[in-house]
Amino acid sequence: MKKRTYSNPVGTSKFTGLLLVSPFLLGFLLFTLYPFVSSFILGFTNYDGTRDAHFTGFDNYKTMLSDSSFRKSVWVTVKYTAILVPLKLAVSLLTAILLNAQIKGIGIFRTAFYIPSILGSNLAVVIMWQFLFTTGGLIDQLTLWLGLPSVSWYGEPGNALFMIILLRLWEFGSAMIIFLNALRDVPKEYYEAAKVDGCGGFRAFFRITLPLLKNVIFLNLVLQTIAALQEFNAPYMLTGGGPMKGTYTIGMLIYNEMFRYNNIGFANAVSWVLFVLITVIVYLMFLITGRTRKEKP
Amino acid sequence: MKKIIASALLLTVLPLYACGAESKKNVTPPDGSLDKCTIRFSWWGGDDRHEATLKAIELWEKLHPDIHIVPEYGGWDGWTEKVSAQLNGGTEPDVIQINYDWLVSFSPDGTGFYDLDLLSDQLDLSGFDKDILSFGTMNGKLNAVTVSLSGRGLFYNSQVYDKLNASFPETWEQLISLGEKFNNYGIYPLDLDNQSGGTAWYLSVVYVQQLTGKEFITMDGKLGFSEADIKTAVDFYKSLEDAHVIRTIKTRTDEDGNAALYQSPEFINGNVAGCLEWGSSIGKYEMLLPEGVLKAGPLLTDNNGNSGGWMIKPSLLYAVSDTTEYPDEAAAFINFLLNDTDCAELLGTTRGIPASSYAENHLESKGLLTGLAQENDHLLEELDTVTISPYMEMTQMKEFYNSALEAVSYGTMDTETAAKELYNSINSYLERITK
Repeated sequence: MKKRTYSNPVGTSKFTGLLLVSPFLLGFLLFTLYPFVSSFILGFTNYDGTRDAHFTGFDNYKTMLSDSSFRKSVWVTVKYTAILVPLKLAVSLLTAILLNAQIKGIGIFRTAFYIPSILGSNLAVVIMWQFLFTTGGLIDQLTLWLGLPSVSWYGEPGNALFMIILLRLWEFGSAMIIFLNALRDVPKEYYEAAKVDGCGGFRAFFRITLPLLKNVIFLNLVLQTIAALQEFNAPYMLTGGGPMKGTYTIGMLIYNEMFRYNNIGFANAVSWVLFVLITVIVYLMFLITGRTRKEKP
Repeated sequence: MKKIIASALLLTVLPLYACGAESKKNVTPPDGSLDKCTIRFSWWGGDDRHEATLKAIELWEKLHPDIHIVPEYGGWDGWTEKVSAQLNGGTEPDVIQINYDWLVSFSPDGTGFYDLDLLSDQLDLSGFDKDILSFGTMNGKLNAVTVSLSGRGLFYNSQVYDKLNASFPETWEQLISLGEKFNNYGIYPLDLDNQSGGTAWYLSVVYVQQLTGKEFITMDGKLGFSEADIKTAVDFYKSLEDAHVIRTIKTRTDEDGNAALYQSPEFINGNVAGCLEWGSSIGKYEMLLPEGVLKAGPLLTDNNGNSGGWMIKPSLLYAVSDTTEYPDEAAAFINFLLNDTDCAELLGTTRGIPASSYAENHLESKGLLTGLAQENDHLLEELDTVTISPYMEMTQMKEFYNSALEAVSYGTMDTETAAKELYNSINSYLERITK
């Protein structure tokens, strides 16, 4: 058999490694580290995009404390996250369990349930939501048919937030896929043994499935919390942050301050507050679940 | 390792300071010739404007096969944010259709756009009135050329009015009384929006300007209304809602979601039978209804026939980016859009009645100066109009107006508190940006 030889096109000098990682390094410096550091610096200026920036110390951060829009946006974001994340975890986990069943054609169902999460909140989804939730829309007709009172979905701040939560809840596909993969790794023998010992399906779920999915649930919890705290697209497309700022998330505030009002310094300061908020919440999650403890060697 | 981290941080911070210190961009001087190139042109508008402009670009490329135009266009909602991001990032198109207030937002010292006086070899401004050209001048530099002058007018669905045997209102009092009549049929005689258009506050300002003879905001950015005047404006808005002349914000939001009035099924179905719109943009409403159904109504007066307070402004302007590499070609293209008679025929009144006398005279001679834009223009010409301050239309200002009206509409604030908050917000903002 002929022995195959390989040539090394990049050489073996001490810079070879650096050369190989340079595309990543360049991308990291330009698209992560540079915006990260510059955003931090801009947060201490009054930069508006046209006039030269002046250092204003902690003025932007002090303004936040007295700014009612900022306070409102923090409250809306926290409320949105607190309602959406547990609901989404529960729905995606239950659906994953159903889709883990070994029945014919299950792949079609898995695909169907995943599709909404790739749609995001694009224009087609916005139009669909308008057909569903506006006065005279499908939901309205359904509630009237059932003899229930009509609900003001878009017009009431609380309902508008719930409508956005429904949109994101409908897009549970990515969380579901993670659960589904984890479920397939749970050895079937555990369930068989439990069944022999007289354990029912309900009990098996709490005694076998949930404990074994503990780490995956935590992973999904962290990922979904971060995504929810950064929410921008859905309120921007569906409600514009209204009515009465009832869906005005921190993401919406940053966008408006940055691109609509040209308060670039302030917008960057708020994005740092959001960054710190996310960091603190995620750290608390690690702390509460005992994941900050170092394992003994 | 520490050295690597320090170097990386230094590398990221230095360009930032370099950018900050060198905020003056390198402006390419004109060379007097038209070279082969590709230039980008952006505008916002409705479908009527898009179709006409694309045809005009086709004609330009036939006449100048070496200068290719890349069009970038869309609706008004979100357009300011898009252009703002482009201008802040230095990626704006070579030729930009700009709104009046963008001059104070993006070029307060006159250096945000190309100085068009330097491009007089390619750009003929002899067909423009000096006063009209002054709208585009910032700090002595001609930053933009006014495409047309426009004012908001009242337009009604004549089919609905005829069906209800109602006449278009001529006075504020008649408008208010229509609410009751239309309410019996579940129809609204008019609608105003509190989104990006901000027509709700606009009409309230017209009402108070007519009543008091004061200007809402002066051209140099001072608030002309007192707190009591602002309260009158807020009260007037609330009275329109209470009298069923316009939909409440909650009703509008429930029925239309986040869509603008010209995208609303309620307007298309005739449940909303009127709108307040710029003459230069009325085409997007007109094309939704059967031909000839939308008609221009009288501009409202008080019971003594006082017709003051209605406003005009440059509906839009053309500017050249100060970072363009092709200033001569960009200027030649603007010249074509403004003055070329064949182009004027294609564009018609999709951007209002042209401010260029060459284009206007040509359209008039061909009998093309017809339609709602022209009718509205005539109605405004007969009045003693006020020129809108560019500060009135700034996005942050619209946010103040809309928040106050929303609070009053939802009943979370009484009109006195809302007016007080609005007065303070406007004053402190104007003080800050005109410093």
